[in-house]
Amino acid sequence: MKAKDLMIHLQEYLRPDNTLKEAVNLLRTAKRGEEKVGVKGLPVLDEKGKLVGMLSMRDILKVVFPFYMTMMDLGDFTWDGMVESIAKKSSNRKVGEVMSKDVITVDEEASLMECVDHMIKHNIKRLPVVDRSGKVIGMLYERDVFFAITKAMLENTGDER
Amino acid sequence: MTHGATALQPFVMDTAFWTATTIFLLAYALIISEKIHKTIIAIFGAGLMLVLKILHQHEAFYIEEFGVDWNVIFLLISMMVIINLMRPTGVFEYLAIKSAKWGKGEPFRIMAIFAVVTAVLSAFMDNVTTVLLITPVTLLIADALEVDPIPYLISCALSSNIGGTATLIGDPPNIMIASKAQLNFMDFIYHLTPVVVVIMVFYIFAIKLIWGKKLKTREELKRRIMAMDEKEAIKDLVMLKKSLFVLAVVLTGFVFHGVLHFQPATIALFGAGLLLLLSKIHEPHHILAEVEWPTIFFFMGLFIIVGGVVKVGLIKWMSIQVLDLTQGNMFATSMVVMWFSAFASAIVDNIPYVATMNPLVIDMARHLWPNLSGIQLLQHPDLMPLWWSLALGACLGGNGSAIGASANVIVVGMSEKAGNKISFIKFMLYGMPIMIMSVVISTAYVWLRYYLMRI
Repeated sequence: MKAKDLMIHLQEYLRPDNTLKEAVNLLRTAKRGEEKVGVKGLPVLDEKGKLVGMLSMRDILKVVFPFYMTMMDLGDFTWDGMVESIAKKSSNRKVGEVMSKDVITVDEEASLMECVDHMIKHNIKRLPVVDRSGKVIGMLYERDVFFAITKAMLENTGDER
Repeated sequence: MTHGATALQPFVMDTAFWTATTIFLLAYALIISEKIHKTIIAIFGAGLMLVLKILHQHEAFYIEEFGVDWNVIFLLISMMVIINLMRPTGVFEYLAIKSAKWGKGEPFRIMAIFAVVTAVLSAFMDNVTTVLLITPVTLLIADALEVDPIPYLISCALSSNIGGTATLIGDPPNIMIASKAQLNFMDFIYHLTPVVVVIMVFYIFAIKLIWGKKLKTREELKRRIMAMDEKEAIKDLVMLKKSLFVLAVVLTGFVFHGVLHFQPATIALFGAGLLLLLSKIHEPHHILAEVEWPTIFFFMGLFIIVGGVVKVGLIKWMSIQVLDLTQGNMFATSMVVMWFSAFASAIVDNIPYVATMNPLVIDMARHLWPNLSGIQLLQHPDLMPLWWSLALGACLGGNGSAIGASANVIVVGMSEKAGNKISFIKFMLYGMPIMIMSVVISTAYVWLRYYLMRI
């Protein structure tokens, strides 16, 4: 099995100049496959269709987390409404500012093991799949890889150990 | 007379002189330009001094006059280790939150209390460490009170540079001066702490004038601060007690190191070793890796570069120029040193500056009192005001610009991350007047105490 066999064809994506408000709206309503609604991350493509980043739930969490809290243990000294207030203030920030820029992609012909390799070593849950020209054609989700693995496990009739 | 003999040798402006001078000037120019990391320049410059045989390795490593001042190096490393071990206990978070609550949520009151806390911490720790510990809480408090964080950030840098001036261990220039002039911890307490206290009082009035009226908040936001429970900050009470015990041992050691004939580095190294032992950590790698090695290597490289120009006689030549300028009048010399140091430190890192000035002051002393040596020379009553002027100028001068001190650079970096960058000019607009005010106070102090009252 290869990346292209398990990936879901690219339907929705973001632009770097989208606001976070637009982005989270899309994250909440984007379709993944036929019936599943809502995604935890979307690729960010520029106007030429080139992949420039990924915006995931974690990036959104980081938006509301002030950098100074990474420097010291200050979690005990925060107040109710702090997250919501920063979230409101950040809603007009651009996707380009907060997206993760180092994106690992796989070729559509990549083996499933190569995909698992990336997912484990770089702790990523969704991989953009690119064609020969470097264009993003789909997304490979950890969940779908997981289903491929479980399928193989369940198919074991007992002669393989 | 081995010490004096080298310095009294008439020097010639030969190839070695010009080579060493070129390396020295190029290194300093590159450090100012910030094109290459200063530590890399220092290490490479030191390597050049050795490879080109300006200095022999033996001189660079083992002769105090020309090489690395291990007293400074081990004092710095040991204090860093102690602070690194203390940090995870949460004591600094506790202190900062406690201060904010003490300020009752009043924006200016908090600013003034933070300034004092920062100054006191800086007097006993590296300024950069202090700023890194105080600014995150400062930003949190500013967010809680919904006030502009910039004044708090600038004030944090300024007060850390002022506070660092107060003690031997407060700021690297003082550590270097103490080591060269063989001054002890209590000398600094006796001679510098009083004027720093006066400067802090004026500083608080100054920030009241600058920011006092602008900082306003609402009652319900103050409640956010008052609702914080500083006790939650303490993560490891046992380690905290051990740390405070060792800190007490180290501070007592500093107070008596002169009487007991210990170098400050001995006290600090003993403290670091004791706390490492008491902490019961199995693998010290992590704690030791957190030592700011780039700073340590910057020092080592600079000592060797300066050693090179000391050996070829450049520093001696410079010292004669200064004495010519002031015609041997010691008050005039002190004032020139203080004011020049202040402006120089506002532009150049005060570490390389003082590394250069220390041997210059000693050469000056040798020129003035050729028959004296050792402590009689280094601590000649007429020379003492010069050391204090150098310390005051070099430490306080750091406030003059955004690049004058590492603490300022950190604060500017933090403001940028917080989304509101302090420009070079903006920092100077606050820093320069504060610097001038503090040097004016120091001028009055040095004149009154050492030339008028002579105490």
